[in-house]
Amino acid sequence: MTLEEAKGYLLRRARELGLQAEVLFQEERELSLRARQGVLEEIKEARQGGIGLRVVAGGKVGYAYTEELSEAALEWALAEARDNALLSGKGGFLPEGRPLGSHDLLGEGLSAPLEAKKEAALALERTLREDPRTRSVLMGGYQEREVRVALASTQGAEGAFRTGLAGMGGSLVMGEGASLKQGWDFRLAKEFHALDPGRTALEIRERTARLLNARPLPTGRYRAYLEPKAMAGLLAVFAQALSGKNALEGKSRLLGRIGEQVASPLVTLVDDPTLERGLLSRPFDAEGTPARRTVVIEKGVFKTFLHNAETARALGQENTGHAHRRYRGTLDVAPSNLYLEPVGNLALTKGVLITEFMGLHAGANSVSLDFSLQALGLWVEEGAARYAVENFAVSGNLLELLQAVEALGDRLEWEVLGAAFGSPVVAVAELSFAGT
Amino acid sequence: MLQPELVEAVLRRALQGGADFAEVYAERSKRRRMTVRSGKLEEAISGLDYGAGIRLFFGTEVVYAYTNDLTQEGLLEALETLLRAKGALGQVDARGAGGLDFRKTLPQGLHTPKVPLSEKDKRFRLERLLEAEAGARISPEIKQVEASLQEWEQEVLIANTEGTWAEEKRVRTRLFVLAVAQEGAEVQTGVAAPGKSVGLELFQLYPPGEVGAKAARQALTNLRAKPAPAGTLPVVVGNGFGGVIFHEALGHLLETTSVAKKASVLADRLGEEVASPAVTYIDDGTLPHAWGSTEVDDEGRPTERTVLIERGILKSYMVDRLGHLLTGYPMTGSGRRQDYTFAPTSRMRNTFIAPGDREVEDLIAGVEFGLYAKEMGGGQVKPGSGEYNFAVQEGYIIRHGRLEEPVRGAMLVGKGPETIRKVVAVAKDWENAPGMCGSLSGMVPVEVGQPHVLVSEIVVGGRA
Repeated sequence: MTLEEAKGYLLRRARELGLQAEVLFQEERELSLRARQGVLEEIKEARQGGIGLRVVAGGKVGYAYTEELSEAALEWALAEARDNALLSGKGGFLPEGRPLGSHDLLGEGLSAPLEAKKEAALALERTLREDPRTRSVLMGGYQEREVRVALASTQGAEGAFRTGLAGMGGSLVMGEGASLKQGWDFRLAKEFHALDPGRTALEIRERTARLLNARPLPTGRYRAYLEPKAMAGLLAVFAQALSGKNALEGKSRLLGRIGEQVASPLVTLVDDPTLERGLLSRPFDAEGTPARRTVVIEKGVFKTFLHNAETARALGQENTGHAHRRYRGTLDVAPSNLYLEPVGNLALTKGVLITEFMGLHAGANSVSLDFSLQALGLWVEEGAARYAVENFAVSGNLLELLQAVEALGDRLEWEVLGAAFGSPVVAVAELSFAGT
Repeated sequence: MLQPELVEAVLRRALQGGADFAEVYAERSKRRRMTVRSGKLEEAISGLDYGAGIRLFFGTEVVYAYTNDLTQEGLLEALETLLRAKGALGQVDARGAGGLDFRKTLPQGLHTPKVPLSEKDKRFRLERLLEAEAGARISPEIKQVEASLQEWEQEVLIANTEGTWAEEKRVRTRLFVLAVAQEGAEVQTGVAAPGKSVGLELFQLYPPGEVGAKAARQALTNLRAKPAPAGTLPVVVGNGFGGVIFHEALGHLLETTSVAKKASVLADRLGEEVASPAVTYIDDGTLPHAWGSTEVDDEGRPTERTVLIERGILKSYMVDRLGHLLTGYPMTGSGRRQDYTFAPTSRMRNTFIAPGDREVEDLIAGVEFGLYAKEMGGGQVKPGSGEYNFAVQEGYIIRHGRLEEPVRGAMLVGKGPETIRKVVAVAKDWENAPGMCGSLSGMVPVEVGQPHVLVSEIVVGGRA
């Protein structure tokens, strides 16, 4: 069966069985070109798709998915989803659906010829090598992903959209004397033509080389300047505390704090799935709720959690349209394009410029929001970066960090870490640094 | 899953298109996950992954495609797309004109479950999860408990133009308990997550109530823990999951994925002393029922026990097929991938420091002021510089050779090749623990392990 046929089959069978059902299908195409030493060492071109099923039986929810589209596999998925629902102890529902239309958020963004993409990958890798300090280039490359998502339910939801991303980046080891640093970066855009392999390679070189010849950092408390990449990593952790689902499950420290000042008055945090050319913009969420802009923190005041229909109802708050689900997963809540609004009052004085955090999945606790993270960075004095520092960890709590924000830069940069996270450079009054 | 004639047709077409080597990896995986919270089933999902990856070598250049369409047309279309992308279309090579003679490897059942997943119904599983949750309710400060069961039944077929034909059914189960303790505004978590290549006998090996209690005790310990001190300290690292430090700081540096590209600081060092003489480091893919064991790797080669470092001397890397082509080192059955959407790369299986001859008490008694990292969280490494970090999930201060108050939020950072030279003592109590390891070829199940070890100094990130 095709995915379309499978969708029709499942909805028809669900009705016959007296089940409410929602079918989410996703079809993905991936192209990746990895260059090394002037040749394309790996070319990957692939397609993947599958159907995710959410059913309501006896007022409870169950899930199943399949990538095999035979009748037997679809029947297996339906039976498993129904069993899972009947065993569940938690009530649930499918929202009333509506026609959502068919949207194209990608257009001709990825339609450049394969040869041009190959050339771009090779050019980026070549430029990475053209630096006397480059010891080895692990890879330089191009990657694109095109996704088609469709949603349909027995409750009347019906819609589809097409989107995608192109990206270029690489990884290299640079050295000077005995000092070695490994750098990695990736630039993403909605269009192949918006990428610039030469400039990206120079940026990766520059961002890696500036960390060479690092000195140890004495243990102490210093002002911190978080570069966008570092701040994006922290926002990805903080996003867990913004999830209505986590709030409901007692896993958010923001529970019960709507209307309170939780961050510095300079902090305004917004999630906007409708951003023009937003990396992860979408016309509707995984339950078919139309997308809209949500101000999460306004001038330091916590305004709302991010919700899907279920978490909004359970907490008695408005649904913000942040249902998230991949066909292989269950219903969750997630941001789309979450960003800190730039302010433009930043001036470097003295402290540590943090360029990157490592080990976020291990060193930051999304429930307590405590973090203790290895970082890379530069010592800043008299308004400029003086030298690199290494072998240190930064620790604190994200809520305290947000309270201590004293300046933000004027330009957003984006990182995709599941969702898209945007931030300018952020200055934090004081953080705890453990070094030597 | 696939008929030999179909696989042969695909492989022969690949050779005709100019490939030096071609491989088909087909997979059908049933996965189930059930999560219990507040005394009831919160969420359950069942799924079927179904797809195939085709990998071609042109010298050391690799092309890879995957698809969910496992019909002859589907596989051949994926292959033609690849040949087109490579620019190899139109080349017609005489190779592959003859038949391929597959040598079939039959599974020996080294890791076959004793209690198959099909033997018990979902209610049985639900009851075990409820026991885990109940086991965690050891104190009023435990406000939230989440217990989940993951089971994964993966059937794979790997065939290549050298005549390899390997099939294996891999069954894995893992119980995961998260306990959240709260007092006032303070919230801390504890985790316990045993997993093995077994069926439902997991619950006999790890009684759910005890797993729950372990997670809860850790959450309570963290609740009354003070922030960890900051600075450079001697550290006793616990056994079992404590091995994650050397998984990150050493293991990843010994994979040919980075070694072949000279992107590891330990490249070209065979025969040299790279670690303290107290350290023997082994990667064993054959340990019965271990979380990271398989009979064949994802390139169809039998897995092995590979001694990587013997008494400080570097003996072997972990070598996959591409790594072998690039370096000439013999393959070690280390080619692994998350699923059909990834080409395999060299990866760890069950990697551990072999037991030494010291008592745990001696290790602690020798420390004037330091940290006991009893349970570790996860971590990360940059093989090119050796820089690593990992989180301490449960830690205690050592003062005058005695364990004292618990501390939380400690992060250990350093450079792997330096740290491994600072392992001054290794105890006898070897244990392994399961984890998921992420790298170029996706997330794969691995075990990490060690006895207790004493490291003379590590930078401990805490509150300054």
